[in-house]
Amino acid sequence: MGQLVQITTGEGRVWRGTLVPSHELSGERIVQLKLESGYNVGLHLGPSDRVEALPGAPAAPEKEAPATRTNDRSTAEDRPWIALLSTGGTIASRVDYRTGGVRPVRTEREVLGFFPDLDKDGPVRMVTVSDRLSEEIRPEDWLSLAREIVRVFGEGAQGVVVTHGTDTMAYTSAALAFLLEDLPGPVVLVGSQRSPDRPSSDAFTNIVQAARLARHPDLGEVVVLMHEGLSDDRFAVHRGTRVRKMHSSRRDAFRSRDGPPLGSIDGETLTFCGDFRHRSNGPARLSGTLDPRASILWFHPGLDPLRAAAFVKGQRGVVIAGTGLGHMSLEHLPWIRSAIAEGTVVVMTTQCLAGPSDPYVYSTGRELLRAGVLYGEDLHPETAYAKLLWALGQSNDPAEVRRRMLEERAGEFEARHQAVEPG
Amino acid sequence: MKAGLEIHQQLSTGKLFCACPAELSEEVLLTVSRRLRATGGENHAIDPAAMFQASRGLTYRYEATPTSCLVELDEEPPRALNPEAVDVALTMAVLLHARPLDEIEVMRKIVVDGSNPAGFQRTALVAVDGEIEVDGAKVSIASICLEEDAARKIGEAPGEVTYRLDRQGIPLIEIATGPDIVDGAQARSVAEAIGQLLRSTGRVRRGIGTIREDLNVSAPGGTRVEIKGVQELAKIRRYAEGEVERQTWLAHVADELRRREASVPGTAPVDLTELLRSGARGPIGRALEQGGVVLGLKLPGFAGLLGNPSGGEARLGRELADHARSVGLGGLLHSDELPAQGVEGTLEGAVRTSLGAAGAGDAFVLVAAADPALVRLGLEAIRRRAETAVHGVPPETRDPLPDGRTRYSRPLPGRDRMYPETDVPPVPVGTERLARVHAGLPERPEAVRARLAGLGLSADLAGQLQRSGDAPLFLELVRRGRAPAAVARLLSQEVPAVAAEPETIAGWDASTQLLDDLLLAVEDGRFSKEGVLPVLRELARGAGDLAEAQKRAGLSGLAPEELGRLAGEVVRRNAALIGARGESAFQPLMGDLMREVRGRADGQRVAEALRTALAARRPPERA
Repeated sequence: MGQLVQITTGEGRVWRGTLVPSHELSGERIVQLKLESGYNVGLHLGPSDRVEALPGAPAAPEKEAPATRTNDRSTAEDRPWIALLSTGGTIASRVDYRTGGVRPVRTEREVLGFFPDLDKDGPVRMVTVSDRLSEEIRPEDWLSLAREIVRVFGEGAQGVVVTHGTDTMAYTSAALAFLLEDLPGPVVLVGSQRSPDRPSSDAFTNIVQAARLARHPDLGEVVVLMHEGLSDDRFAVHRGTRVRKMHSSRRDAFRSRDGPPLGSIDGETLTFCGDFRHRSNGPARLSGTLDPRASILWFHPGLDPLRAAAFVKGQRGVVIAGTGLGHMSLEHLPWIRSAIAEGTVVVMTTQCLAGPSDPYVYSTGRELLRAGVLYGEDLHPETAYAKLLWALGQSNDPAEVRRRMLEERAGEFEARHQAVEPG
Repeated sequence: MKAGLEIHQQLSTGKLFCACPAELSEEVLLTVSRRLRATGGENHAIDPAAMFQASRGLTYRYEATPTSCLVELDEEPPRALNPEAVDVALTMAVLLHARPLDEIEVMRKIVVDGSNPAGFQRTALVAVDGEIEVDGAKVSIASICLEEDAARKIGEAPGEVTYRLDRQGIPLIEIATGPDIVDGAQARSVAEAIGQLLRSTGRVRRGIGTIREDLNVSAPGGTRVEIKGVQELAKIRRYAEGEVERQTWLAHVADELRRREASVPGTAPVDLTELLRSGARGPIGRALEQGGVVLGLKLPGFAGLLGNPSGGEARLGRELADHARSVGLGGLLHSDELPAQGVEGTLEGAVRTSLGAAGAGDAFVLVAAADPALVRLGLEAIRRRAETAVHGVPPETRDPLPDGRTRYSRPLPGRDRMYPETDVPPVPVGTERLARVHAGLPERPEAVRARLAGLGLSADLAGQLQRSGDAPLFLELVRRGRAPAAVARLLSQEVPAVAAEPETIAGWDASTQLLDDLLLAVEDGRFSKEGVLPVLRELARGAGDLAEAQKRAGLSGLAPEELGRLAGEVVRRNAALIGARGESAFQPLMGDLMREVRGRADGQRVAEALRTALAARRPPERA
């Protein structure tokens, strides 16, 4: 790859260009050349075609962006700084056009080369925690991220920005909110729906706003910051336990469930829509751990109780995404009863995009409640799952786990569901 | 002279990367504001054109219309290449004897002037190595590309530009000829011939702005310069010849500068604000009155080369001024145009001393504006352009001006702005697909001309229909049974007349069905043939359907029963006259009835109704 070549076809047509990786969906025996004009062409190589390498060393795979300027570290030490923890995902990745792969931006130099406005309000220290797309992130990564956050706060960070893939960012934000205590500053998760190699990427504005929010003098909780609309000048600050990715592609995909976001940023102005958790005097600490022996079960018409039972077997907990107010077919009662008898914590939530679960309205709910299902109020399934892992990490006693599940910890319950348009 | 043409034609197949119709719209559903950054392609090289555009730091506002969706807003990934548009491009490849690629790869071409919300235009090379023969001369076709059109610029305000997304994503076929065109006249006939072939596919959009031509010109000793968006074919010759003259002069200037060993000093520009405060007039004086600054730059060895002593249009001074304008300055003052703006005599001497430009070969430029940052930016642009002048003619993109001249617009985009569009799968061009394209080839223009002649059209009218691209439509309407003369009048006179009216909705284009219905309505006598123009006009101004247009035009045609009733009344009222004059009463009765009808039915139909009424009056004859 990267070699300058000349291809002479059987008919005598000569193509000259740089060999580049073919698209994953290219046909067989298709060779891709980048021509001098910049266009790529797909050529089907036949037996009578001749390929010659032209002189000139193949272009080396790219390493890192040339620094467009340098970060002034001499003054960085004594000014208030924030930490930027990178976990991977769209916001921290770029396409390597030589190899065709997506790769993370790693070094501080490269990140600052990419986001030159990032440290305009003060120094930023970079930490690479992982290099993963967010669907590859696992509960143990939430734990190591939480430890890293405790560490950088311990070193004096004023706030923390976590760059994260958007697909599972809301799971991570919820898990961090349950794990972290006594935060002396904000933890701002941020992502982008368009990769920063596109001129229109939302990464540029999101990350700069996240860095500003991380310097907020009062805020002391885990939040998610993303676009509030389709424009580049409005941003929403969501509570880490109430947020959900509600659209697969729009830049305003993230919405707070069952109410307004925690805050809104219009241009440069941040307005909080309700009470937020204030920063503590610290030190930040990790409270407990996570027990990953739990899952989410999505109920659907026709779900075979035997399959469901097999899925839950051996787990310490299960979050059911039930229909409507938190229902599932009563055919499932037998396995639910025996799972609970064996000490599994069964939490009911709703698969509806908004609204609470409630066991009292229909007889199905009452039956499930009688069988020992714990209704998760207005926790959405992802938050209930993160909380369940945390609660299971706190105690081996199912009764204690159940008590913790219903005890408010990180603003995860919304007492009032205001009459606003559903997000 | 070596010139090539690039022809961009919009297709009517629906948009290239989504399911939206390829139609403009005046209805704005929402407006979104965005900013764009220049980003690196392969090897992080940021294209100079992209860098230049991004350095202007504007906010872009995008108006979404019912003919756009989340794809145009860059809120949803693009869909696969529109297969119909690919087929049209392949059809053109066959018609131009070009070689289709084995697999079509979609590329992103970075464009951060805001005209594409994503910050890039998607484009794909479809075929190469074609040719077209025009007036006995062969012109090579270098490439046939399929690309998406950009958003439509609606307006500009300080710091922001507004675009509408209706045009964004409309497929464009780009056909680039090789540099084989020898003069403006040939450029014109080649453009017409390619245009005819495009229209013969029957899948192109029609009307103003649906076909655009760029001209690539390089003169001996010069370089490739692209003149963007030459709307009027008639002016191609002037642009091409003007560009040759410009390049020839600038190449001469470069030779002379090198002979003099001229160079542009890297020293900081000199602040002349205080020196010129009392003496300067004109734009410099005004800038100073507004609290602005004047900076000067010495250009050793440039004396006499900023102007053009031969009196020609091409001047290096103008090139420098265009670069200053491209970053937002009003212009500059250079030493070859002195005395001017109060810089004369001892004041000129003082300026030269301050700049250290007292030598006989030394020239200088002065730039002034209220905003000091803008002045520095402008002077830097001038410095870079002056440095280039020593080496020759820089490749660049130029805008055509109405007077036949051109003006610098931006650096010529390089290969660094092209990178793969990974969101769109490549499209294989197999033998099966090509066989299908071959089987569905449109008639060649020569064959169509013969058919038109066979239908009794004059050579002039046939030629006009072919040039306008209406020949397939004409043949289709005739095939549906409409009278050739009426169809010809509709397509050659009435539709163009309405399309040119200012009140007509932008991008309006009548469907084949609608035109058929319109002609059928005349044949049925629902209104007279004089009614075609007013009805068409209402359709072009937003009437929902034929009936509504007819109503708005005040031509709601008479129902046959109503016409019969009116005729019956006229006959009854004039019973005496009919009794007295018999058959010869028909003419005066006809006059009466026409007055009653008031244009709501044509004469022939009125006469028929009258005859029927008269016949009904006569008692049946007995055997």
